[in-house]
Amino acid sequence: MKRQVPLVLCFVFGIAMIFTQFSPHSFSQGIYEEVISWALIIGPFALVLATVTLIQTHTARIRRRTEHWQYSFVVFAGLIVMVLIGMFFKPQNPMFVWLYNNVQLPMDATMFSLLAFFIASAAYRAFRARTFEASLLLITALIVMMGNVPIGNLLSNDTASEARQWILDNPNLSARRGIILGVSLGVISQSIRIILGIERSYLGGGD
Amino acid sequence: MPNIDRRIVFILVALAVIIPMLLSINLPVSVSEPTQNFYDYVEALPAGSTIMIAFDYGPSSLAELNPMAKALLKQCFDRDIRVIAITLVVDAPTLASALIQQVAAEKGAVDGEDYVFLGFRPGAVQVILGMGTDIASVYDTDYNGTAISEIPMMQNITNYDQIDLLVDFASSDTVESWIIYANVQYNQQIAAGVTGVIIAQMFPYLQTGQLVGLLSGILGAAEYENLVGAPAKGMQWINVESFVHLLIVVLVIIGNITYFIYRTREE
Repeated sequence: MKRQVPLVLCFVFGIAMIFTQFSPHSFSQGIYEEVISWALIIGPFALVLATVTLIQTHTARIRRRTEHWQYSFVVFAGLIVMVLIGMFFKPQNPMFVWLYNNVQLPMDATMFSLLAFFIASAAYRAFRARTFEASLLLITALIVMMGNVPIGNLLSNDTASEARQWILDNPNLSARRGIILGVSLGVISQSIRIILGIERSYLGGGD
Repeated sequence: MPNIDRRIVFILVALAVIIPMLLSINLPVSVSEPTQNFYDYVEALPAGSTIMIAFDYGPSSLAELNPMAKALLKQCFDRDIRVIAITLVVDAPTLASALIQQVAAEKGAVDGEDYVFLGFRPGAVQVILGMGTDIASVYDTDYNGTAISEIPMMQNITNYDQIDLLVDFASSDTVESWIIYANVQYNQQIAAGVTGVIIAQMFPYLQTGQLVGLLSGILGAAEYENLVGAPAKGMQWINVESFVHLLIVVLVIIGNITYFIYRTREE
């Protein structure tokens, strides 16, 4: 029963939702709208699940004294403070906004900003024309980088910008379209396998 | 093979950022076709039209996406285009709310009449699909807790049928979700402003017309500020980015010259 019920539910709702896409009948559209409403209610539970998993993971780290376990207390402090202020005073509260603007925002922005330094260093060390393919990638990257900034266009009399646009419009677009088609076909086949109960890994248990 | 100490590279990057900011260098910015199409589409909308803006980015992408969002908001308020703002990203409401209020105060736009910020709801795909049927079924109140039924500008807006353009400012794959579920399912016109790293994956949707326009990273922001006639952070930062890109290109060239010299010697 533990496995059969989810499989039956998945099959029934999967078939029903496919059916609603091909039928404009009011009954069919009523089912569609009802299921969307249910999904909107179920959605927030994912946040609860994520929070519980976070708490479990960091509790285990503290209990086992794994490397840098002390930082898990910082995670709990951040979680508790933000959740309590958000729940009891609402996110528009000046205290919540202050914490967001002066703690979360600069930390998040700093982490992302550091990428510029590491990318520059990595590009210098690793971006070498060792093979034909690597050379092609290198030249393309340099053209796109220079075409993406005004100084590149100034130095090349707009040639870099035109070359960048051609690369994005032609080789890039063709490759992306191929990837999109491949992924879409994969999603369709995987969805059919899930609806028919062939693919059951989402149930857990390893089969 | 010798390598420059990475700390020297870091210092060079820092200088490439700081010096252009201090010198206030202004390089000429030409406007690309996807940006021009975006601007023209908004310009062609009559006064009283409604644009929905999705602020689908967090603080890490604020530097790239806030300038373009600000320029669009200015254009909308200048042209009496009403704005419905939402977000699918959990850490975006505070920054989106602050940006909208800042531009609204500059332009004298009134909350509830010229714009409304509905905030965040979990379940991205369900939110997009739900608004196709009834926006009030997803957002029963705005970000400040005012009931949708009491907001004047929402009186005649039920779903995407009353939205003239949806703009997604995104740092992840939300643009594709909007295209798949709002454009394909409900025929909603969509434009996007995205971070530099995801520009390449947007081009198939530009070619098919599923995106009416596209703003690409800081360059897109600078181009749009230029078109709107309100140069700000985008114009300033594209000059900084120019010198960082130039530095990286020079470093890559030096790295390759050194590599070839040593390889020739070894042979």
